[in-house]
Order: sequence, then C-alpha cells, then structure tokens
Amino acid sequence: MSTPDSATLEAVNIDQDAGNFSYAEDYAHDAGYGLTEDTIDYISNVKGEAEWIREFRKKALKTFHDKPMPTNWASKDLENIIFQDIRYYLSKGQTPTRSWDEVPDDVKETFERLGIPEKERKFLAGVEAQFDSEAAYSNVKEELEKQGVIFVNSTEGLREHPELFRKWFGKVIPTGDNKFSALNSAVFSGGSFIYVPPGVKVAHPLQAYFRINAENFGQFERTLIIVDEGAEVTYMEGCTAPKFETATLHSAVVELVAMKDAKIQYITVQNWSNNVFNLVTKRGMAHENAEIRWIDCNIGSRLTMKYPGVIMKGRKARGEVISIALANDGQHQDTGAKMIHAADETTSNIVAKSISVGEGRSTYRGQVHIPKHLKGCKNNTECDALLINSNSRTDTYPAITVRGNQHATQHEASVSQVSEDQIFYMKQRGLSEGEAMSLSVNGFVNDLVREFPMEYSVELKRLIDMEMEGSVG
Amino acid sequence: MSDSLSIQNLHASVDGNEILKGLSLEIPKGEVHAIMGPNGSGKSTLSKVLAGHEDYEVTEGTALMDGEDLLALEIDERSRAGFFLAFQYPHEIPGVSNANFLRAALQARLPKGEEIDAVGFYKEMYEKMDALSMDRKFTGRFVNDGFSGGEKKRNEILQMMMLEPKYAVLDETDSGLDIDALKIVAEGVNRMRSPERGFLVITHYQRLLDYIVPDVVHVMFDGQIVKTGDKSLALELEEKGYDWVTEELAVSA
Amino acid sequence: MSTTLSKAESETKPEQAVPWFAAPPVHDIALDLPTWYTEHQSESWDRFLDLPDPVRKDENWRFADLRKVRFSELVAARPVDNVETLVQRAKKERVEHFAAHYVFANNRLVYSEVADLPDGAVCLPINEALVQHGDLVKEHFMKEGETLGGEKFSALHGAATLSGLFIQVPRGCVIEKPVLIHHFSGGDFQAVFPHTLITANENAQVSVMEFFESVGDSEQNLVIGQVDLVADQGGNIQYVSLQDLSDLGPKHVQINSSRAGRDAKIKSAFVNLGASWVRNESINRMQGTGSDCQIYSANLANGSQEYDQRTLQSHEAQHTTSDLLFKNALYDDARTIFSGLIQVQPGSHYTDSYQTCRNLLGSETAEANAMPGLEIDADQVKCSHGSTSGQISDEEIFYLQARGIPAEDARKMISLGFMNESISQLTGDEIKAHLFDRVARKFRGLDQ
Repeated sequence: MSTPDSATLEAVNIDQDAGNFSYAEDYAHDAGYGLTEDTIDYISNVKGEAEWIREFRKKALKTFHDKPMPTNWASKDLENIIFQDIRYYLSKGQTPTRSWDEVPDDVKETFERLGIPEKERKFLAGVEAQFDSEAAYSNVKEELEKQGVIFVNSTEGLREHPELFRKWFGKVIPTGDNKFSALNSAVFSGGSFIYVPPGVKVAHPLQAYFRINAENFGQFERTLIIVDEGAEVTYMEGCTAPKFETATLHSAVVELVAMKDAKIQYITVQNWSNNVFNLVTKRGMAHENAEIRWIDCNIGSRLTMKYPGVIMKGRKARGEVISIALANDGQHQDTGAKMIHAADETTSNIVAKSISVGEGRSTYRGQVHIPKHLKGCKNNTECDALLINSNSRTDTYPAITVRGNQHATQHEASVSQVSEDQIFYMKQRGLSEGEAMSLSVNGFVNDLVREFPMEYSVELKRLIDMEMEGSVG
Repeated sequence: MSDSLSIQNLHASVDGNEILKGLSLEIPKGEVHAIMGPNGSGKSTLSKVLAGHEDYEVTEGTALMDGEDLLALEIDERSRAGFFLAFQYPHEIPGVSNANFLRAALQARLPKGEEIDAVGFYKEMYEKMDALSMDRKFTGRFVNDGFSGGEKKRNEILQMMMLEPKYAVLDETDSGLDIDALKIVAEGVNRMRSPERGFLVITHYQRLLDYIVPDVVHVMFDGQIVKTGDKSLALELEEKGYDWVTEELAVSA
Repeated sequence: MSTTLSKAESETKPEQAVPWFAAPPVHDIALDLPTWYTEHQSESWDRFLDLPDPVRKDENWRFADLRKVRFSELVAARPVDNVETLVQRAKKERVEHFAAHYVFANNRLVYSEVADLPDGAVCLPINEALVQHGDLVKEHFMKEGETLGGEKFSALHGAATLSGLFIQVPRGCVIEKPVLIHHFSGGDFQAVFPHTLITANENAQVSVMEFFESVGDSEQNLVIGQVDLVADQGGNIQYVSLQDLSDLGPKHVQINSSRAGRDAKIKSAFVNLGASWVRNESINRMQGTGSDCQIYSANLANGSQEYDQRTLQSHEAQHTTSDLLFKNALYDDARTIFSGLIQVQPGSHYTDSYQTCRNLLGSETAEANAMPGLEIDADQVKCSHGSTSGQISDEEIFYLQARGIPAEDARKMISLGFMNESISQLTGDEIKAHLFDRVARKFRGLDQ
C-alpha cells in the first residue's frame, strides 16, 4: 500500500482532545519530587495509615529498587521514565463526597466535561471519581448498600474494612511480581475497594473514573474487588489526562477475587493522552466454577504494558481476556493476557485484536500455563493484527506450556492489512477513503466491540470512528 | 452529445506501458453496448481507468458522463455521480456485512445530516435479493467473504440495483458462471435496462449476449476499438474466432 | 505488566562459570590450513571464553532446563577403534540410491563412496576443502552473524571444527540423488564438531541427508554441529538431519543457517529421535526476490528427553515466501520447546509466511512449550502462525477399532501419521520412506 495522502493520515488520527484540558494546580498535599522512604512516610502520615501498611510500603520500595527494568524483553522506552522527576502523591485533602455538589468546583467541572455525572444518572449502579491521588466522589445506589455491597476507595477500604481487605491484599499480585507492581505497592493511593456479599447480583455496572490533572505526576491506584459466593458484578474504568510536555506515569495494580460460582466482568477503556506511560498489573483469582472476564480496550497512552491475567484456582473456573488495542503515531500498545490453569477442567479464552496505524506499534504477549497433573483444561487463543499504512509494525509473542495428555490448547494468529484493492472497491461504491477505512476497521473489531455493554460499545465505536474518520464529513 | 458516456481518444498506461491507445466509444443513455476482444486487448484496463484506479495513468483523451468530466473526479465521486463498475474480481471485505456496506454506500449519497430510512432500505434490498434468488441470510454475511464465484457476481448486480447508477460497466461478469447463475445475473441486468441508463458489457464470450442482448457490439484489439456492428457481430465473432478480426486488420493495414 | 510472564518457570540460580574446555579442542589432523581459518579458530576460541553460559533471563533460553547445558572437563573426541562395524552400520542404514556417501567417526572421515556425482560438483571433507578450495570455503563459512541463543556453542564450534562435508554445486549442475553423511560419535565427555557447508550456484540443485548416531550406548558425549546452506539465484537445496543418537547420554546442538537468493529454494528438516538433550537453531533468510524457505521438523520424545528448537524466518526481500511445520509427539516425562519467529523486514512487501507447531501429548507428565512469534514491519503481507497441543481423541481410536484395528495399534498409527505430516513435505521418496521407518522403529520401542 502506498503512503496515504494527508487526508487519510488526518482521517486516522486519534482524537484524544476530549480529555485535553487541565486546571491550575492547587494541592493541600504534595509529596514532592522523587521517591525515598520519606515519600512513603509522607503518604502514610497524610492518610493516617496503620503501621503494617507503612511497613508493607517500605518493603515494597526496597523490592522496587532491587528489581531491574524488564528491558531484556520489553521496550527500551521504559528507560525514559525518570523516577526522580515524578511526584508520587498529590491531593487537595478532599475526602470523597457522596454528592457532586460538594465536590470542589474545578474537580466537579472536570468530571462534568467528561460526562461522568450524566452516565451515573443513566445507567450506573455506583461511581467513584479519582482526581490525581485521591477520590473526589464516591457513591453507590442505596439499595445496593442495603444488600451489603461495599464500593469505596482503597484508602477508606483499608480503614473501614481491614479484615476483608487485608485477607486478599497483595495475595493475587505479590509485591515482587514485577518492578511496577512493587512501585505501586510502595506508593499506592486511591483506586476502588469493592465487596459483593454472597448471592448478590449487581445488575448495573459500577464505574470508576481516573483523572490525572497535574504534570510530572504519577498515579498509582490500587483496586481490590472481592465477589463472594454466587455473586456477580461488572466494573468499568475509564481514564484520561491532559497532554503535557513531559511524560506522566500511571502504574496501577488491580486484584480480583471471585469466590465459588461468582462472576466478575472488568471493563477498561483506556484513553490516556499519548505522553502517559501506562504500566499496569491486573490479575484475578477464580475459585471453583467462578468466572473472571477482562475486557480491555487500549486507545491512548505513549506506552502501555498490560497483560490481564486469571489464575483459575478452583475446578471448572473460567478466565477470559478480550483485548482491543489501537496504536497510532508515537504509541506502543504492548498488551496481552496470562492464563494460569491451576485446577482441573478450567477453561480460558483469549481474543486479542490490534490495529496499528501510521508509525504506531502494537505487540501481543501471552502466556498460557497448564501445569502438571491436571485434567481437562482448555485454552483457546486468537490474536489478529490489522496494519494500516506501511510504517506501522506489529509483533506477536505468545508462550504456551502444556503438561499432560488431558488438555487441549489452540493458538492462532494472523496479520492482515486494509489493502489498496479493498479501498478501491469500496470507493467505487461511493464511499470516501475515510469512510471506507472506518468501515474496514470497524469490521475488524466488530465482534469484540459487541462484547462490551451497550453503552460502552456505542462509545467505543464512536471513538474508533472518530479516529478513522476524523476530518471527514 | 451530453446524454451519454462519451470516451474520446483515450490513452492510458500502467507502469509506463501504454495499454489503451486512443480508444473512442459513445454509449447513449438507454443503450446496451458490448465490448468483446481477446485476452490482453485492454478490456479490463478500460473499466479500471473509467472507475479511476490509481495504478493507471491517463495520458491523453477524455471521458465525459452526461457532459461531466469523469476523469477529473475522485473514485468515490465518480460512483456518487452515477458511474458503476461490476468488478471482474470483486474484493472481499472481512468483518463488514453486506447490509452495512450497502447502507454505508447509500448513506454516502445523501446530503449531510440526512439519515437513511432503515425500514425502506431493508424492504428494497429484500425485493431485489428475491429477484436475484438470494437467500435472506446473505445480508449478514461479510462482503464477498467466502462467496462462490456465482455469489460474488450476483452480489455485484445487487449492489448495482441498489445504487441505481446512470452508467454501468460490467467487467467479464459472465466469467466463472454456470448457465443458471448466468441467467439470473442477466435477468437482473435486463430489469435495470431503461431509457435513463446506459450499459457497457465487457465479455470474452458471446454466450452472455444471448441473455443480455446488446444494441451495439464493439471489438477491441490492442487498446483500440477496431470494429463496431450490431448484435450479429458477436455471433460472427463466436463463429470465426478472434483470429478473424486480427487477420482482417492485417489485410486492411 | 509483569516480568513474571516467566514466573511459572522454575527459577535457576546463576552458576559459577566453569570453562567447558581447559584448552581449545583442536583437531589432531595436521594440515596446511589457510591463515584465515586458523585466525578464525583462535578468534572463535577467545569469543567462546568471553561469552557467558546461557541464562534463563535471556528470552532465547526461556523454558530451557539450564542444568542440561552445564559442561566441564570436556575433551575433543578421540579416534574410535571399531571403525569397520560403524561403516557396516552406515551402509545398512542408508537410502538405496545416492550420489555419494561419507562416514565420519569422532570427527574423522573413515569411509567414502562416490556413486554418481556429476562433473563439476565439489564434494570434499571440509579439512581437504580448506586446503584445496580455501577461498570457496571462506566465502560462506560461518557467515551468519546472529544466533538464536547458541552463540557460545557456535563460537566453540568455530574454534574446533574440522570435520564434515563441503559441497559446492556449480551453475546449472543438478545432483539428482542425495549426498549422504554419517556422523558417529561416542566416548564420555568427548565432543565432536561436524560442519556442513553447501552452496548451490545459479539453478544448481542438491539434496543432502545427514545421520547422527552413537558409537555405543549411554555415553555422555556432545555433538556441536553447524550447517551453512547458501542458494544463489534459482538454486535449490534440501537438507535433512536425522538425529538418532543413543537416548541415554548424548547431547546434540545443531545450528543451521540458510540464505536464499533470488528465486532460490531451501528446504531443511530436523528429525529428532535420540539424545538426552537437543538444541536446534535454524536461521532462514529470504534475501532475494521470490526466494522461499521451508523448515520442517518431526520429533518423537520420550523418557526424560528434552528437545529445544528455536527458529527464525527472516523475510528480507519482496515476494518471498516461507513455511514452517514442526511436529512433536511426547511421551513419559519428555519436554519440548518450540520458539519460532517470523520477521518481515521493512520493505519486504508481498510476503507470505506461515508457521505451525503442533504437539501431541501422550502422557500425563510430558510438557510442550510453544512460543510462536510474529514481527511484521512491511505491507501487503500475509502471515499467520498456529500452535496446538492436544492428544488423540477417543473417537479417533474408536473409529479405527471399529475397522478392526486394536486400540494400541490405532494409537501408534495415528501418532505416526501425525509425525508423517511433516516428513511428507520433503522431497525424495526414499528419504521420506527412510525417515518414516526410523520414526516407526522408535514408536515400536515405546511402551505406551
């Protein structure tokens, strides 16, 4: 395919401008630049944390310093993160309110511009909105509260529900899992804590929204979701940041625990501005007959490294990762999935689709592990890549280990492109180049977009359309 | 003449090789013209040049559609202006359903802000599909993806029926069709014949012209129209073979 | 985000590096070798000493059991005394029709027979070729700069090799029948370094089959072989390696490099039946427009055998094609590792590239690892890879039983068919039949 004309380039350019605004900085608490034990003490003091948490953080800091950057297999771009030039804690000293009216004006305005209160009215069971390091708003529908559903930020979760929190905290993702999980464990702040009691099926999604407002700042939210026996929940998260001159760091840890027969669906629409390093560790533990499903859509960021995983710990547990990645100029979406089978008759499914546009680069990394002496485990992996324009690049690196003769795995991957002939055919039927491109791209991801809840699939399609059509029309 | 597809002295080349060498042709509205010619005479090049394929460079000549300069328009503009090409090898578009594709093509023809009437659209599509003996399930299948040769060609005719062009070029629509499929396709085309529409049927074989009876038959050779006659010319060609034309040319040269 | 994509693998502590050899394992044949070659040897030895032992954090050694690559007190292989028995074995175990047959035992040529070699074709032991055609050897000898992790082995090979065959097929020359090479090796802690260098000039054609076998049983010896395949415009090379060493002690490393020029075709295959540990590396470069590389492998692993195979299909010109089909049948505690990468270099448009690894697991403790990779940096490319792991289904067995075949026979028949899918891609009926027989023989010996 020849180099597209400027109209096409514009047509496929991401519109991330929806989140590109910021308000003047006015923080009551600022841990300052750099990361030392003092930073940890500062954060712990501001939060008034229990001693064990402070110790946990300090131990994690040591692990973080000890661990090398994973550049032996990952992008060298990681070396451009200057940890001493980042601020690790920023907050206005707010405690999350249950009413938007009590949220500070600039913060409220931020979330209004992003449409959060409106969505809450329309179709959400609860919302948490985090501004830099701390939540500004947190609310859950009354009837859920009466059923015993807990939906608070992690700071409050640790304070109010230590027995629940501590039992699972760091159990699915140990501090030393990787360098960035260690970093998060040292300086985490914000994120959600959710508990759904046995048998409670939360009909509408709970939503968290993460916003970075300040430059040279790192956001390190920590989310822990525990869904008790037979209960169900869908959690959605969105994220944006303004476009700053310098790189920003987002490094979250998300742990999910699905008890027997429980179901968790975790949906992410990641639309960080393209100077954000987005290095996130996400993993769930599924007990007997439980199901954990990650639906992960990465559109923004400069470099995303994220491989949601499921440890299938109980018999007949199920894990699924549905992943859509779109890499435009200057972006590298390094995404994938990990499926660790740890019990008989566990099944996992991975469907990953990536689109590389212009100079964009997308990478799929996967791990499927079926260890010894299990029976009846199944994995299916499909990863497809679409290339648009000859400068884009796509890589696929799966690793599959199977032990024993009672399992079935299959992996398929393909690379294709929107070809010149295909575009010619569509143009001959009267579609402009942008429309033709948009139709092809939507066709490529359509079956995955359908997996999203209605409201989100509409938004996602609109986002993709915007990127593909841009100036057209 | 403004009510016609008028091609004058058309020269076109690909990668520097001249394929069309001063081709002239006039198709008035309401008429069906056929172009026959041996392989390599430039028939398919003509259809691609008229559609605006970027691999082909027009070095000389004009192509006017009802007086409008076709060659000055973009590929999609030509389509929206009323030019239709039924492809010899229709391209596959995985992931895009036939219904969505047709809708998008029709939507592109509406003024900005105007939405297509979905109910009317499906009603019309189903009627036309019935005429072409196409299964309803077809609307949900991806464009040409995994289609048999006959299905692809029928799909081209369905698109033509839905888009209602002013001029349609059918590029070897008969190739790869069995006789039943050929009849269905021809019937579709015949239904579209009208005083408001012109056709150019490109074919290698006379067989198609038994079913789509042309008003005028042209013989193409080495990038030019070398002979023009009525439908009997096609029969004559079938009987005597293309060598007959080349020999005749050699004699007259 | 996680470095623990490899967490599930067992951790290995870095070992104190002990040199594998106390001194360069130099061949004892005294010859007037060209200076460039002796220089290459000493440079290689220095490089070998500098290079670290393989470590797990190197992605090229992911999943490998590094305990199997700790060596010490190795020596260059000493002459064997039962030469005549070995030659008889080699003559028994060969395809009927061949162009030439060479037998090496512990690095030394012990037998050669030229049956039907066309004029112009050069076919010489590498030590003689170095003396007679030094410049020809130099042009393509170990020219591949990259490795897939085996650089230390490659350096050691460069320091030591003086055995193996040099084949040069001149322009337009077609060697109809295969050239056969046997390598026998044995002796505890003794190492052999067979090298095969094959060049096919314009429109030339050659097929080579190499056999690796043990002198005795259960000897802890080591084979470090390297193969250079170079096909110029329109050239056509087939290279087949049949490794059927004793399955108790020997370890086998083989590093293949293929370079295909314009419209050239190179087909290479690994068939592994023996050895306790095998490392195969295969770098395939499609350098000329229209070139094609095909890589096949059929591996039958049982006991505690570990077969570790790493491949690269590098498309470096337009309209190039490649295909890879690796088949592993695993029993007992056997392990296999397949890591394959398709690389489509910038500008290599219109590439068609495929890669498939299929594992048939025949026991509860066998382990198959697959890492099929794609790196695509060009346009108008059709690439796909697939990997499956599974076992013979009861329905398949039932179907054969219903036709009167006992269950055990049915199982073997299906497994053999599974392996044969890859073998059948090769050229030459006798070669295919021989490989099939050898695989079947090992199957017969398995207690399933």
